[in-house]
Formats: sequence, C-alpha cells, structure tokens
Amino acid sequence: MKALQIEKYGEIKDSLIFNEVSKPTIQATDILIEVKAAAINPIDKLIILGNLQGMLPIPLPSTIAYDVSGIVVEKGDEVSSFEIGDLVYSRVPQEQMGTIAEYVAVTSVAVSKKPGNITFEEAASLPLAGLTAMQSLEYVGINKNDKVLIHAGSGGVGSLAIQYAKAKGAYVYTTTSTDNVKWIKELGADRVIDYKTEDYKTIVKDADVVFDTLGGNYSLEAFQVLRQGGKVISIAGPLDEETAKMFGMADYNLPEEIAKQISGKEATYKYLFMHPNGAHLNEIKLLVEDEKIKPVIDKVYPFADSIEAIEHLATGRAKGKIVITII
Amino acid sequence: MEELIKKIKDIIHLSIEAEDYLISISKEKIAAKGSILIRQGQTVDKIFFVTGGCLRSYCIDKHGKEHTLHFAIKDNWISDYIAFHENEKATLTIECLTESNVIEFKAKKIMGMLTLFPELEPFQRGNLERLFVSLQKRILNQLQLSAAERYDLFLDEYPDAEQHTRNYHIASYLGITQESLSRIRVEKAKK
Repeated sequence: MKALQIEKYGEIKDSLIFNEVSKPTIQATDILIEVKAAAINPIDKLIILGNLQGMLPIPLPSTIAYDVSGIVVEKGDEVSSFEIGDLVYSRVPQEQMGTIAEYVAVTSVAVSKKPGNITFEEAASLPLAGLTAMQSLEYVGINKNDKVLIHAGSGGVGSLAIQYAKAKGAYVYTTTSTDNVKWIKELGADRVIDYKTEDYKTIVKDADVVFDTLGGNYSLEAFQVLRQGGKVISIAGPLDEETAKMFGMADYNLPEEIAKQISGKEATYKYLFMHPNGAHLNEIKLLVEDEKIKPVIDKVYPFADSIEAIEHLATGRAKGKIVITII
Repeated sequence: MEELIKKIKDIIHLSIEAEDYLISISKEKIAAKGSILIRQGQTVDKIFFVTGGCLRSYCIDKHGKEHTLHFAIKDNWISDYIAFHENEKATLTIECLTESNVIEFKAKKIMGMLTLFPELEPFQRGNLERLFVSLQKRILNQLQLSAAERYDLFLDEYPDAEQHTRNYHIASYLGITQESLSRIRVEKAKK
C-alpha cells in the first residue's frame, strides 16, 4: 500500500516521501481501517522537524499522522464492538501512528463509530483536537454559566473547545485575530476578542477556567484574569509537577513565577496530555450528531498533495483543520 | 408470529399446510438496540416483519454521510428490496433504533412459498403494492409539500418514532437541515 513516510528529521519538503509499504497486520484486539481521510496536527510538524525525538522516538522511516476516518475491513478475534463495514474514526495510539496511508491498524479501544451526519473528511478532522479540547475541559469541569477563556479560538483545538464549552452552558471568551472574528462568533463564542486591537486582560475578569493553548506569557497571564480558586488547564505551558513525575522527572519543580501565581489565586494548574480514547470519541460523536459541535475544516487536500498539506499546516495560518482525502 | 398469521387470515384463506410452512421458514428474534440487520455492501437474503420496536433504513454516500430512507415500526415489513430482487449487494443498512422484535424470513423461502402455496399471492402482492404506494407518496410529497407538512406526515406515519430517533435521522428523512427541523418544531409548538 501507499503511505506518506518520514525518512529523516528535517524540513518538511526534505523529510517526507511516498513509499510502497506492506499493509499492516492486526493483533487480536485491533481493527484494520481502510483509510478514507486523515488529518494532520501541529505535533506532526514537530515530529518531522525532529523536535520530539527524545519524547517520541520513532523508527525511520515511519508513516505519519494520527487522525483517521474510514471503514473497518478486518477485525481481530477479540474485537466485539465493531463489525466489518462499520464507519469509524480514531486518534491512533503512538505505537500505531501512520494514518496518511491506505490502511491503518488500530487497537479497538481507541476507535469509535463516526458521526453519521458528517463526511469522512469532517470526521477525520475531529479526533486529536476534539479529544484534547474535551479531555482538557472535562479535567477542570465546566459548569453551566462558568466563565471560560479559550485562547486561539480559530485553531484546531480552540474551535472545538469553544463549541464544547458552549454545549456545557458556559460563557465563552476567546482570542483571535481580526480576520477570524466573524466566523468564531458564528461558532458560538460569547465574546470574541480581537488580539490585534484589544487587550483580553482588560476584558476577561474572574474567569472560572482558562484554557491555555498558547503557553509562554499566556500561561502566566492566565492567573491575572482568573478568579480566586479558579482553574487553568494548559496544553502548551510548563508541566505541572504531578504530570512531570509521571514522565519520570522526579526532581521537577514548577517554575517559580507560575507557582507564585497559583498560590496567590489559590488556583489549580494542570498540564494535560491528550490520550486516545474510543469512549470519549463516542461522546463527541453524539454531540456532533446533535450539531452541538461542528467540524471546522480549513482545506482538504488529495493524498498526492499531502506534503503540501503539511507545509500549509506549518504556516500556522489554517482556520480550523487540514484534512487529506485518501483515494 | 401469531399476529402475522391472523393478519394473513384476515385477507386470504390460509391452509394448515401453508400456515405450517410459514411458521417453519420464520424465525422470531429480539434484536438489540443498535444492532444491524442488513448492512450496505453485503448480500441480502432476509426480509423482516416488525412486531415491536423501531428500525431505520439508510444509505451511506461515497463521502461517508448517512441518508435515511425510511423507518419501520410494528406491522411494517423491511428489507433491501432492490438488492433482494436484483440479486445485488445491499445499498441500504437497516439498524434497530430500539430493542426490536422481528420475524426474520429467508428471502428465497418466501419466494418459494408462492410456488408451493399460490393462495398466498394476494397477501404478498398486497404487501408489495402498499410498499409501492408508500414510496410513490413519499416522492410526491417530497416534490409538492413543505418541510413542515412532511414533518407532520412523518409524525402521523410513525407515532412515537421521534422519541427513538436522533434529530439528524429525521432531518435526513425529510431532506432538510437540523436547523430547519428545529425551526419547524418551534413554529409547531407556538400553534
């Protein structure tokens, strides 16, 4: 089968190549998906550049990308939750990475039936970003009428997080650039802050939750807009100590600046690593079928233009997700 | 099966031999909610008579989106008749929206039944004519009626189905968006 593989670490155009590889074989708990669409994420760019060699070592060459939607064509003997012919979607686990290909083998617990009211391309756009949004907001808990600040509302994660928070009944602030204000409002955000002309720190006060998707100064500034006892959930800032220890960093300490902020506000701070989860994807499926969440796609590329798709991702200017149709 | 036999006897005289044959080719099943009775792309060799529950038939287009053809409730027959009669792979999937009681008949046995017991022909013809009439009405309604009018017809034809269906099932059946369906419901509630 044909697959897009990373052959070496480096610039996108120099590192990726289409190879003819063996169709994956499945274990007893796996299903084999005929890939109809795959989606790419910022982590794919980081892997290609070599920035994650230490944290996510991969053999070279490796087929890339984690998001998929397609049709079950084979299933392992121990799989009872899917049948041949089921239409599914998944964020595959690290060890099964490789969705820009004609087939991918995935452990069935990471898979869900896809929402019936959307296309394969739309379904493929959801898993990684949707799970990140959902798991982050579920970790801190969103109550009705909570004030939630979500940075980068036009991004893959941000655009889904806005919709998820609104589905939970929250009042949502989000930041974005001028070009995106109109369509982000249409997603349902209550107060869209144009960071080019407004300072969100003067607008957001006493937020119950800040979803830090940007890191850097934004991680610290989160506490300026947070209420006493509020919660910051981050996917881009420093690790919290509990998470660091889980990764074997026994001597890790939270940076002093952020520790002071947390203490001053008696707040909670957590860094979240998303994890593949078929049950969570099934919850997202129900929200999508009820149109509480709608996929946001920037562009769909044909399989042959996958490298161009990843270069587009690397510009950081996509409004929503970039998807590849596997024909 | 008793109810179905009674329905048949209301229309034709059913001999004991024909009745025994019908019983012998039938299989009463309880299908779990979410189970698939016929799957798009597979061979179709069964016809189902619904004695309880709610089922949906739909097709999946090449982009992966579902389109609802119709629903089936008590006393409805359901299958993929194109696949069955044309000897082709199924173009429909039939799923149980609730736990459902169905009587399953092997399609070939049903066809063979008419050769053995020609007196069953009026009953079978009546079923197919009702199916044809239903589909013709559906096409004409789609062409002539407003979405709100078609929604009312859906509620009349499938009482209680709304509590078992997802909004996108109904919107797809009516050929409208979910937003339009919400608007229709709001307008209806105001009246």
